[in-house]
Amino acid sequence: MNTARAELRKLLTLPSLRRTALLTCAANLLLAYAYAAAESRGEPLGDDAALAPLGYTQAGFLVLGVLAAASEYQEGDQIRTTLLAMPRRLPLQAVKAAVLAVVTLPVAAVTVATSTPAGGAGTWMPAATAYLTLTTLLGAAVASVVRRSVPAVVLLLGLYFIAGPLLRARTATSAAYLPDTAALDPSRGAAATITWTLAALTLAAVTLHRRDA
Amino acid sequence: MVRLIRAELRKLLGLPTAWIGLVLGTLTAPVIVLLNAPYTRRAIAAGTLTDPSDLGMRDLGVGLIGPIILGVIVVSSEYTSTGPDTPGARQLTATLVAVPDRLRLLVAKTTALVLVVAVQATVTTAATLTLTQVLHGIHAPAPAPARVAAAILYWTLTALLAYAITLITRNGIVPLTLLIINSSVVSVSYLLTKVTDLASYLPDIAGAQMFIGTAGFPVEIAPVTAGMVMTAWVVALLGLGAVLFQRRDV
Repeated sequence: MNTARAELRKLLTLPSLRRTALLTCAANLLLAYAYAAAESRGEPLGDDAALAPLGYTQAGFLVLGVLAAASEYQEGDQIRTTLLAMPRRLPLQAVKAAVLAVVTLPVAAVTVATSTPAGGAGTWMPAATAYLTLTTLLGAAVASVVRRSVPAVVLLLGLYFIAGPLLRARTATSAAYLPDTAALDPSRGAAATITWTLAALTLAAVTLHRRDA
Repeated sequence: MVRLIRAELRKLLGLPTAWIGLVLGTLTAPVIVLLNAPYTRRAIAAGTLTDPSDLGMRDLGVGLIGPIILGVIVVSSEYTSTGPDTPGARQLTATLVAVPDRLRLLVAKTTALVLVVAVQATVTTAATLTLTQVLHGIHAPAPAPARVAAAILYWTLTALLAYAITLITRNGIVPLTLLIINSSVVSVSYLLTKVTDLASYLPDIAGAQMFIGTAGFPVEIAPVTAGMVMTAWVVALLGLGAVLFQRRDV
């Protein structure tokens, strides 16, 4: 319980996380407005206008996860102090993931709620909130393996925004296996999102357990 | 000055992330041309291709992640802490001890970045267009030299844009996120053009019209004007970045 409280305090006092959350919400509002404006002009942009802004704002959640995990390895290796206080690494990793999920959940819920057009379909709201939270955990897991924020962001955004769309455009079958398909088509990609996130978290736990800090 | 530029080049090319940018940026566009060859052939056969002279040129937009990474890390690497044992120390401190004149430092940095990106852009453009000629030679007219030069210029200006934004934010994450999302298949700038026609003058939308046919854009801008719009953006942001860099504490 003490570990959870300590991790929670670390996350809540990181200025970069607050800034990322605010920027993400603001960008989401702007995008939701852009989609609504395009729709009212009579040239809708293809997909479900309520889900589409989330396809972009998930980048903010990836960055949120990366910053939360990479902050341990920046500026003097806070991880050494953390491990001194909490030497059992696997429980530490589990607590870290749980606390990050708890912190992300309200941000995700607000983002999803604000991207819904007034009175629009609310059925996918819980699913989208869960998706964004899982995406944050995936980002954190990757960053705790890479240990540096800029390469982790390059890797994740490159996969989500450049490799992903290209693969989907080439072969329709690959869509079901990509972690971010659920953002466009919730019924189809949910299993892939959960599997990718769990796999990344397991990899992160194993590397933290095995590797020198 | 030559020594300064050589030092900056060595610093940039010594970064592992820079090599990720170099390799990714150089290989992405040619590989996509190669992978898409069967689809392109079918499109040519079916006659659904809007503008055959854009073949190959369009694919160059995807490789932009390379210059973006290079432009960002040439600045952000100066601001990250140098190691676990010296948390407060940044490379910038050492750099400024060696070169106290900040404007000279910026000029050297900019020159090094432009050199690296221009070489990368030339290699990538040559590879992509040669591959397009080999694969679809009869159907794709060889692009005019001016368009090829414009594509190289677009890559260089994109790197400078990333560089200027990073000088302002002093942190690599913000410009990387912004610019990588924007180099995605449907860019945010393109979405904004649906809201207001003014968005057509954003640097990436205007800049792309230097070398891609203007058919798909809401407001058509002539290539030379497009180049000037993008250059104006870069100059304005670089100017702001330079002033801030000279005025701010390390």
